[in-house]
Amino acid sequence: MKELSDEMIMQKVALGNLDLLKVLFDRHHKHIYNFLYKMSGDSMLSEDLTQDVFYKLIKYRSSYKNGSFLSWLFTIARNNLKTHFTRNHRNHDDIDVLEFQPVENGETEKEDYSHLQNALNKLDSADRELIILNRFQEVKYEELAEIIGSTPGAVKTRVCRVLKKLKNIYLENI
Amino acid sequence: MKNNHVSDLLPEYLDNTLSDSVKQKTEQHLANCIQCKLELDEMKLLFNAFKNDAITVPSDRLSAKFEAALNQEKSATAKVVSIAPKKEKSNWASNLLKVAASIALLVTSFQIGRVIQSQKNNQELVVLQDETLQFKQAAMLSLMENQSASKRIQGVNYIEEFPNPDEAIVKALTDRLLNDENDNVRLNAFEALSNFTASETVKTAFIKTLEKEKNPSIQVAIIQALVKIQEKKAIAPMQKLLEQEDTQPFIKKEITEGLPKII
Amino acid sequence: MKQLTLILFALAIGTSAKSQSDYTKSLSGIEWVKIESKSDIILKTHTTDELLIKNSRSSEVSQRAKGLRLIGEGGSDNTDVGFYVVQDGNTLIVKNLRKNDEGEIYLPKDQNVSVKSTWNGDIEMSGFHGEIEADAELNGSIEILDARGPVTANALNGEITVVFGKVNQDSPISIYTTNDEVDVTLPSDTPSDLVMSTTNGDIYTDFELTREEKDGLKSMSGRKVKATINNGGVNISLKSTNGTIYLRKK
Repeated sequence: MKELSDEMIMQKVALGNLDLLKVLFDRHHKHIYNFLYKMSGDSMLSEDLTQDVFYKLIKYRSSYKNGSFLSWLFTIARNNLKTHFTRNHRNHDDIDVLEFQPVENGETEKEDYSHLQNALNKLDSADRELIILNRFQEVKYEELAEIIGSTPGAVKTRVCRVLKKLKNIYLENI
Repeated sequence: MKNNHVSDLLPEYLDNTLSDSVKQKTEQHLANCIQCKLELDEMKLLFNAFKNDAITVPSDRLSAKFEAALNQEKSATAKVVSIAPKKEKSNWASNLLKVAASIALLVTSFQIGRVIQSQKNNQELVVLQDETLQFKQAAMLSLMENQSASKRIQGVNYIEEFPNPDEAIVKALTDRLLNDENDNVRLNAFEALSNFTASETVKTAFIKTLEKEKNPSIQVAIIQALVKIQEKKAIAPMQKLLEQEDTQPFIKKEITEGLPKII
Repeated sequence: MKQLTLILFALAIGTSAKSQSDYTKSLSGIEWVKIESKSDIILKTHTTDELLIKNSRSSEVSQRAKGLRLIGEGGSDNTDVGFYVVQDGNTLIVKNLRKNDEGEIYLPKDQNVSVKSTWNGDIEMSGFHGEIEADAELNGSIEILDARGPVTANALNGEITVVFGKVNQDSPISIYTTNDEVDVTLPSDTPSDLVMSTTNGDIYTDFELTREEKDGLKSMSGRKVKATINNGGVNISLKSTNGTIYLRKK
């Protein structure tokens, strides 16, 4: 028996086979959750936002046409996260280039972060996102380019640059 | 390249995604350049940290709520003419969502449009392979516990999806081989495991099977497999089978021919 | 007609002696019926949602055993027809306690059935469209007619004959015997991934097999044939260690 690809399943879902959404949920909710957790450092928030991502999948299933399912899913997840932080920083001015930091001040952290997570938290959110998607979620350069709206070559160069930056932060504080 | 430092290639070098020729050049450079070698070692530390970073797992709440939402959507879809929407509908779609949904929909649909535009013909993705395998593994393990023998065989046959099965899969298969009440399931489990005779767990299970299995088809297959890998620990149970009266003659023949081959 | 006379006969006697009547039990909530017997088992379909065991006890034995209860290995007769019937969760266990008399059992055609012959008994069944598991542990043979699959059948010294009316594509089919023949008939348009193997026997078929190719060379080994028919589909695995395999199309 051959395993159906995400795309084939999602097409069936879009045509009305709702039960298959469970398969997609089972396959991917942990990835989405981990992405959001590594981005926000907040487990409760990540759980809520993950729910939200899959809720949207249910709601907007018929708007899926084709294309990489994973890119689509991560795009929704990113937007959820952005929307969340945008709303919570409504009073700030430049919401377009909004920087959200997982921990407001390092001393009051509630969650027990790994040393690596602490280093990640020191990156700006765009760099952090790139590394998390590429390293933890193993999203390939091409798809990463789709998600962030760039080219695979440029993404590769950026990932490399950020990895060096992260390496230095990581080793400094070891 | 004048300055041939390879620091930009190190991530790909560690991922092993460089072409052979570039990889070779990189290795040559690394052998001579202390600076780059140092950077490589540092990068390795970071990569190890990535590898060892704990994966956080969401609580069961998440999947329970998803299923509730899915069921609601299903019943809502089924009853197209329902007059009033069900009240629980807003249960887990928190208020946050309601506000966010309209904004997000705009953003999302924009993004979807872009994704679709840039879509590749390449439908089969090999992304997240490891994680996808984990889900396949869950499906496989649960099928193997099914009440129906045919479904258990289906579960066992999933092994084709795992070129390098981990210990949990091997263990589940050896359980089937040793304990399944259905002969066909046991024989299928044997065939699934016969490709992994290098594993100690598999060898041990085969020897145990030889001691307790009564189905001659499985006995003969196990004997052939153990002779092929020249497993010395199999000699004693084989000799025992030779002495037993109820062992089928062709099994005895197989053993007599096989024993001298185990050197 | 034969059935009618049987029923009339059973009714006529049934009024005077209860032990002579057939046994029935409702199948509501039952997913699997597991049948075990040392002697022949004949399984047929009927249209009611219940288990029916025909009373075939020879009158000679019944006369002598009158007023006595049959004690078997697996339990004692709680049906008055020489069977032990007990429900275990969603499974109904049916054991034939008699060592010589054959059991004729009726079930609805969609019932999942698992049949085991533990001694010399042959298994014969026809018209079942649910899942079928058949195991002839020792000397019995298995004959399954008009099956839809999935079928899982295993025999040691007996032959296995399976004729499919149609092949369900959901779940694998697996038919193995150690010392005798496997004879399987499929509708000619059945899509399937086939594996047929025999160590000491031969393989015969009239299907057009698309052999699995390795480096452009077709596998010609007579011992194990991997092939697809009608572009591939559900896994069907036929195996005999010492017997011959026949795969026919109809």
